[in-house]
Amino acid sequence: MSVDSPSQSGLGSPAGNPGDEPLLQVEHVSKRFPQILANDDISFSVARGEIHCLLGENGAGKSTLAEVLYGVQRPDSGTILFRGLPVTLSSPRDAIQLGIGMVHQHFVLVPPFTVLENVIIGTQHQGLRLDRRQAAERLGGLCTNYGVNLDLDAQIWHLCVGEQQWVEILKAVYVGVELLILDEPTASLTPQEVDKLFAIMRKMRDDGLSMLFITHKLNEVLEVSDRVTVLRKGKLVHSVATRDTSQRELARMMVGREVDLNSVREPRTPGLPVLEVDGLRVRDDRNLEALRGVSFTLRQGEILGVAGVSGNGQRELFDALTGARKPFAGLVRLAGREITHSTAAQIADLGVASVPEDRVHQGLVMEFRVDENLILGKQRLSPFANGAFLNQRGIAAFAEDMIREYEIATPSGGQVTRVLSGGNLQKVILARELAREPQCLIVSQPTRGLDVGAMEYVRRRLVAERDRGAGVLLISEDLDELFSLATRIAVMFRGQIVGMLDAETASREQVGLLMAGCESTV
Amino acid sequence: MTDVLQATFIVGLFAGMIRIATPILLAAMGELVAESAGILNLSIEGTMLMGAFSGFLVAHITGSLWLGVVAAIASGALIGLLMAFLSATLRADQTVSGLALNIVASGLAFYLFRLAFKNAGSQNLPSVGAFSTVEIPLLGQIPFLGEVLFTQHALTYLAFLLVPLISLFLFRTRPGLELRSIGENPRAVDMRGLNVVRRQYLAVIFGAMMAGLAGSFLSLASAGLFVPDIAGGRGWIALAIVIFGNWLPARILFGALFFGLIDSSQLALQAVGLHLPYQLLLALPYLLTIAALVVNRSRSRSPLALGRPYNRAERGA
Amino acid sequence: MTTTGQGMPRGAGAGQLTQAKASARGRWRIQARMQPSAAWRSVSILAALLGAFVLSALLIASAHVNVGTALGVMVQGAFGSRGAVIETLVQATPFILTGLAVTVAFRGRIFNIGAEGQFFAGAMAAYWLATVLRGAPQAVMLPAVLLAGCAGGALWGFIPGVLKARYGASEIIVTVMLNFVIALVLSFLLANPWREPTSYFYQTALMPDASYLPRLVSGGRLHLGFPLALVVAALVWVLLWKTTLGYEIRAMGINSLAARYKGISVATTTILVLVISGAIAGLAGVGELTGIHHRLRLDISVGYGFAGIIIALLGQLHPVGVVLAAIFLGALLNGASAMQIVTGVPVALVNAIQGITLLCLLIADVLARYEIRRTAGND
Repeated sequence: MSVDSPSQSGLGSPAGNPGDEPLLQVEHVSKRFPQILANDDISFSVARGEIHCLLGENGAGKSTLAEVLYGVQRPDSGTILFRGLPVTLSSPRDAIQLGIGMVHQHFVLVPPFTVLENVIIGTQHQGLRLDRRQAAERLGGLCTNYGVNLDLDAQIWHLCVGEQQWVEILKAVYVGVELLILDEPTASLTPQEVDKLFAIMRKMRDDGLSMLFITHKLNEVLEVSDRVTVLRKGKLVHSVATRDTSQRELARMMVGREVDLNSVREPRTPGLPVLEVDGLRVRDDRNLEALRGVSFTLRQGEILGVAGVSGNGQRELFDALTGARKPFAGLVRLAGREITHSTAAQIADLGVASVPEDRVHQGLVMEFRVDENLILGKQRLSPFANGAFLNQRGIAAFAEDMIREYEIATPSGGQVTRVLSGGNLQKVILARELAREPQCLIVSQPTRGLDVGAMEYVRRRLVAERDRGAGVLLISEDLDELFSLATRIAVMFRGQIVGMLDAETASREQVGLLMAGCESTV
Repeated sequence: MTDVLQATFIVGLFAGMIRIATPILLAAMGELVAESAGILNLSIEGTMLMGAFSGFLVAHITGSLWLGVVAAIASGALIGLLMAFLSATLRADQTVSGLALNIVASGLAFYLFRLAFKNAGSQNLPSVGAFSTVEIPLLGQIPFLGEVLFTQHALTYLAFLLVPLISLFLFRTRPGLELRSIGENPRAVDMRGLNVVRRQYLAVIFGAMMAGLAGSFLSLASAGLFVPDIAGGRGWIALAIVIFGNWLPARILFGALFFGLIDSSQLALQAVGLHLPYQLLLALPYLLTIAALVVNRSRSRSPLALGRPYNRAERGA
Repeated sequence: MTTTGQGMPRGAGAGQLTQAKASARGRWRIQARMQPSAAWRSVSILAALLGAFVLSALLIASAHVNVGTALGVMVQGAFGSRGAVIETLVQATPFILTGLAVTVAFRGRIFNIGAEGQFFAGAMAAYWLATVLRGAPQAVMLPAVLLAGCAGGALWGFIPGVLKARYGASEIIVTVMLNFVIALVLSFLLANPWREPTSYFYQTALMPDASYLPRLVSGGRLHLGFPLALVVAALVWVLLWKTTLGYEIRAMGINSLAARYKGISVATTTILVLVISGAIAGLAGVGELTGIHHRLRLDISVGYGFAGIIIALLGQLHPVGVVLAAIFLGALLNGASAMQIVTGVPVALVNAIQGITLLCLLIADVLARYEIRRTAGND
């Protein structure tokens, strides 16, 4: 079965019958998972040559719907019509053959392979030979058409996130699509890269391509979409033309109540230095320099934000400050005491708490019970242990307290952690980390993947810690979050801090430019 | 006089090197293909043993050595099928599955051997004969190289031919690229509409067939008999050589030859009459394998998704 | 929901254009369970045992022997008399210990395939100490010899531990290699320095009486090793679930990344795990040496180390399960000897059964994590 050869622009059939029948019709689609009804009787349609936005907070069911449309999941009920005919999408292959493409939220690229290799996998179906030359020509033409500048022979892991995004998009466009699903494509882009993406999307739309653009960011909806469908807790709230709605109205539909889009930052006078970092140099997993001389001071009673596209050293910064990775140069002091080469256990003992960006893989042992996870890292301290032995009663009492205080939705401390929802997992981690009133709290992407309720809870906790006098280092890709919580924002780019801005006076554009490396104020 | 002895010694040493390297090379190249598709197959030691046994048994029953080879390959394919089922379909833990299959294959081989040759010790084991070496015309006449390189078993020629063939396949063909992509990021391939599971099956079964073939070399070419410990750890050594070779065919070839040289020297030294306890010499290959794992720290080409079960429904990152 | 019945749309690849069924009663679907219940796990274990039983019967049948007869003899041989039961427990003793050794390691996701070698290392260390302490009273000799066994096994576990912790060397391959190495070392020792001067065989002289593990009953070989093994089982349980080290081992075994982030030293824990695992396997070696054979030979182990892997997995990596699985295997071995004598089916059948049971258990275990549910129609 061969893929039909796409037209020169890499798109499917041009808008032959514009406006007549919708390209995609979703009718009464439902999808249930063991714990949750992810899609509940969803019906909407996407016209030809339209940028259609699927808006909803995390957990609303947008990604599930996207997976259903791409054949990754089968719906439990409902029909999907493409070009007016009912279709069965039982695997991505079916979707691709129909002309549906997808740009995934978490890239599906092969890091050690080149751009060219990543794009052509799965596009040639006959013969043993790899036809690189012809592919390179076509791909080069596509890039030129959209004004994208990519070295086709570069390995993926040498590309920055924005460039990897383009590869993801090119993969879909190369085989020819009529409907392109983009799942949260702007999560890791600088504001400038987002603008460029939108410009290209508009060009694609004008060329006849339809797009289903999935996001939880309201401003993006208004900026680029023609129509928007709002999902909330698995159900469809409303489908409306973008020009007929407003950000406030969308927010209300998305969350179900009035949302305060701006949070008030109370002026605070930060106290003594809690964390002093000087010229820190750290290597990454591939032994390349990831932090190239980072210096800053975090004070008591302040939230210092660290902005930047992921992959610019944030992970290594987090690891070095928490003791999971050893710097090869530079200094780190905690309340005056040097901890540059201290172990993770020592650093935690000194009052540094941390919330990692990957809850499941870095922060928790999912097969452990909730009470066991609540003492992770502190299992040797009293009251959790008596010498070499665990003190079950102490552990149980602590767990009970934490579950109550943090309102963790679990029947008991003995519950296996794996079944908890994302927000509750984050609460377990917070409870664990904040229990000892740390003097320094380092968090990375703390609200990623959480629904609005959980997001607000986490942010409230961070502010409470700040008010208690702790110094909070907030590493985040979410500019809204940084602007609403942080007093100062440090911008990281290629392992260095290229700017330290006052959150009250700085603009998103300024931060965006720094994130993209265009201007350094340091 | 001493020249002849020296020449004989050296020829014997290097010819032995190539002969001894053969089964390890076969198994290692097969495992390379499987691991390129992301599946760690720890059952190749047991597969080798089963291959050696089934080859021996069928050769004994039918009187044909080549049929024995076919049987060995078939038994390898069956075990590979099971491994693929456990790893690619059921997505069970590959380490545990491989160990379990290893035990199954070894246990079955042992039982069936005892069943078929009830009271046989190695003395009164029925003979099936063995493959003799095949001399390549013309090339085999070259004074020194001819004996070393071109007077070997047919299976040896095959093993060494496999190196460039598999190398070409993996790195220069379309299906090879697809296979290696699975080993790095199976999701990337799945989302392109390619059948990941089918390709993993093919890769694992091929690898196991190679291990079975390697086993048949041991019982039908190298030793000419079967004993329950005929594999002697070679399957594990093959695994180590894939790691040591950093998943590159050329380096794996080098590793297998080096190992073969060391093992061959142990035999040659004995022949010369060197007074070292033979157990020490026998232990050398195993110690060397450990050293190879310690010395070789760069695993820069280890397939990123090696050993990790792939589940389409699980979200990435 | 309707079908339009139109022809293929233009330019389509042959994507499936069929009617999606949204039947009113829903459809069957296989999906992962959130949390396999204990009940399901028990069912899966039983199903596995049943499957293994059937396959084993097939194997017996392949020996042209009446399956019923063979099994009957087997059961008789395993449990049919006081003597049989005692012998079953005797056979089970080393299995319990090697099973526990492997359990500790696997709980930390350290795949110790070297229990066989650690078994020998323990026996060798114990033998050596016994000859050094020749003449000492039992009160001194016996505990010393047992400790030496633990120490020998611990050393043989320490090596792969360090190599993994420092160099990332695969413990699977290293321990397997070390199995071969120590067998060769033993073979060398038995052929030369340690060889019993008067004997034709490769074995040592009998060890001093004081080193023998006392027999517990008359008319049977059951020795102190058996209750000792049970004590070790209890200790392992305490270690894994009641101590901080056990917590760290389990955490590392499930998620070594998170463990590392929260201050657990993966390197140190790895070494400790292999040392403890090796010590227990070494104890198994001493047990057989001083409880049964009383002299060092090459065949004091008949694959106890490898069987330990099977037992650990059959026992679901839990001490209670390990004891039960060990007794099961001891019964199997004991019964199989009788079966070989009476029906001629080779004892090697046990090897095959071991493997098959393990495989069935693995498959059942994986399948238990899935369930078939009927998903509702239009919710």
